[in-house]
Amino acid sequence: MEFFIQQTINGLTLGGIYALIALGYTMVYGIIQLINFAHGEFFAAGGYLGVILLSFLVSRGYLETHPWLCLGGSLVLAMAYCAALAMAVEKVAYKPLRFASRLSVLLSALGMSIFLQNGLMLTQGVYDKPYPSIFSHGNIEFGNITVSYLQIIILVATVSLLVLLNILVFKTRIGKAMRATAQDKVMTSLLGISSNRIISITFAIGAALAAAAGIMVGLYYGSVRYDMGFVPGIKAFAAAVLGGIGNITGAMLGGLIIGMVEIYGAGYISGQYKDVFAFIILIGVLYFRPTGIMGENIDDTRI
Amino acid sequence: MKKRLAVIMIALVSILFCISPAMAKTLTIGTMSPLTGPYAADGNDIANGAKTAVAIIEAEGGIPGYDKIEVVSQDTACDPRQAVAAANKLVNLGVVGVVGAYCSSSTIPASEVLNEEDIPMITPASTNEKVTERGLPYMFRVCGRDDDQSIAAGKFIKNYLKAKTVYIVDDKTTYSQGLAENVAKQCEKLGVSVVSHDHVNQGDKDFSAVLTKIKRANPDMLYMSLQNSSSGSLMAIQAKRFGLKCAILAQDAVYHPQFINIAKEAAQGVYFTFGYVDKTKPSYQKYYEKYKALFGEPGAYSAYAYDSAYVLLTAIKQAKSTDPAKIKAEIMGMNIQGASKPIKFFENGDSTANYIIQVVKGEEFVPFWNPETGTLY
Repeated sequence: MEFFIQQTINGLTLGGIYALIALGYTMVYGIIQLINFAHGEFFAAGGYLGVILLSFLVSRGYLETHPWLCLGGSLVLAMAYCAALAMAVEKVAYKPLRFASRLSVLLSALGMSIFLQNGLMLTQGVYDKPYPSIFSHGNIEFGNITVSYLQIIILVATVSLLVLLNILVFKTRIGKAMRATAQDKVMTSLLGISSNRIISITFAIGAALAAAAGIMVGLYYGSVRYDMGFVPGIKAFAAAVLGGIGNITGAMLGGLIIGMVEIYGAGYISGQYKDVFAFIILIGVLYFRPTGIMGENIDDTRI
Repeated sequence: MKKRLAVIMIALVSILFCISPAMAKTLTIGTMSPLTGPYAADGNDIANGAKTAVAIIEAEGGIPGYDKIEVVSQDTACDPRQAVAAANKLVNLGVVGVVGAYCSSSTIPASEVLNEEDIPMITPASTNEKVTERGLPYMFRVCGRDDDQSIAAGKFIKNYLKAKTVYIVDDKTTYSQGLAENVAKQCEKLGVSVVSHDHVNQGDKDFSAVLTKIKRANPDMLYMSLQNSSSGSLMAIQAKRFGLKCAILAQDAVYHPQFINIAKEAAQGVYFTFGYVDKTKPSYQKYYEKYKALFGEPGAYSAYAYDSAYVLLTAIKQAKSTDPAKIKAEIMGMNIQGASKPIKFFENGDSTANYIIQVVKGEEFVPFWNPETGTLY
């Protein structure tokens, strides 16, 4: 039983991170039907920005005195930076192709992903970058169950970001405009909503969430590397599809399911097949529900 | 008009193709290693090590008959297909010898291509036994072998740690899995029970599931056979966080200064099997100063790559020829103190192995236990 609870906590941590990344995929898909392959790179960029900011704060000695302020500040800055980066990428690589075939945009996204990843490699180097280890200490023990403070930080931050996103999408005017644009771009334009602006904002929000996930991964695993965006990007994409691509609640659910299945698969059967289990679930669900768990073609929750 | 243009064109092209200028005579050697992808760190160490050897040989007067030595570095990405493509490219460029590759799974197919053309290949880092067991005449190895490494590991587990139970984890590459299986065999032979032999995937970041399993199994020792220092440091950090109490033994691929940089306090006390590098020898000092000046702090396999290139170029220099058979004769006759170890090749292309146990202490790896004598350093 302790083993099960421990694995569940592990799975929730991993799933939460997948969910944060999956949201960016699903939001962008919902609004312009594009699978943004460069999304994993926003996640990596967030991780790198976190290490740059935190290392700077360590060198100035601020991290010792105000750890939470530093962490929060770096998180906000990295999210803002990645939001701006995503908007720029959208302007350069996707906007000129708005009316081109979907394949062209997809290739443009792939190209952007390769460009950003190799750019990171050339500028930041091929070696792993260590995160300041100030937050990695300490855990709470219940019998044989170990919950580290970092796992708690990750879970709390993930849940609060998800709640904030839900409020933004379902309770504000911007969110309403996003949902409207997702349903019918022409009609919303006629009603005076700039669809370009809304698309830009959608990219920004998705990338900001990915950046937050990047910092959390850096803190939790202790290091970042230029190619860190690739594998989680694929997993998060699978999570978005599993939940029903285009659906926000679905992406959260999909992320958690993929994370849990991976951990249970590795914990109870064998670590070498954990990716296999994650994708078997994906195939199984898509076989019976081609639109994903929460997916519907037209739905209020779709964005 | 059109005709005249065509004539001019042909004339220009033939000038380009037929007249070769009196060019400087260049000796070209190749390196193959993963310059991109998850093993890019080790791959760049290898390319840089070979370049350091060239810089030193050139500073010592170069190779008679050649004005300069050029190093062409190819990226294998630790992918067998790309390794074969890289080998073909080096063949077409007319290299006289190759230093590489890193992953055994790249070295094995690439060496088939190079041996067809009688191009000597010296690997600084591929430790799988099959690399030299296929009877290829031009395959050499400067690092040790997995079976030697696993014997050293087995002795350490049995005689020093006195462990009764061992948990083995590998990440399923030709190298890491082969080594893990050898260690499992050694453990069985010595009467140490292997609780479980688990696998993770290459490039995994999250080891929480397998570490929870290890914690439940509560073994005396964890044998961590992963393909690079990056995965190794991630596992060490998470192991510490999960409160794993057992000793951890890792191997040569995880051995890298980066392991300590990343894992920090979680790296302390982790044991490694790695070749004994005598840092007081003048040959090491010479290499270290040059490498540091050119590329900064060397990585784990830089010294071996340096030695590989040094052996190759010295053989060409002594043979006064680039004839493969003559180069081979020189390599086989060599008995020198390299930067990494004393180098003498055996009939099959392997060279002297000297695996010892090292341990992380503070900011560096220190020699810890000698499996030959069973004594502490």
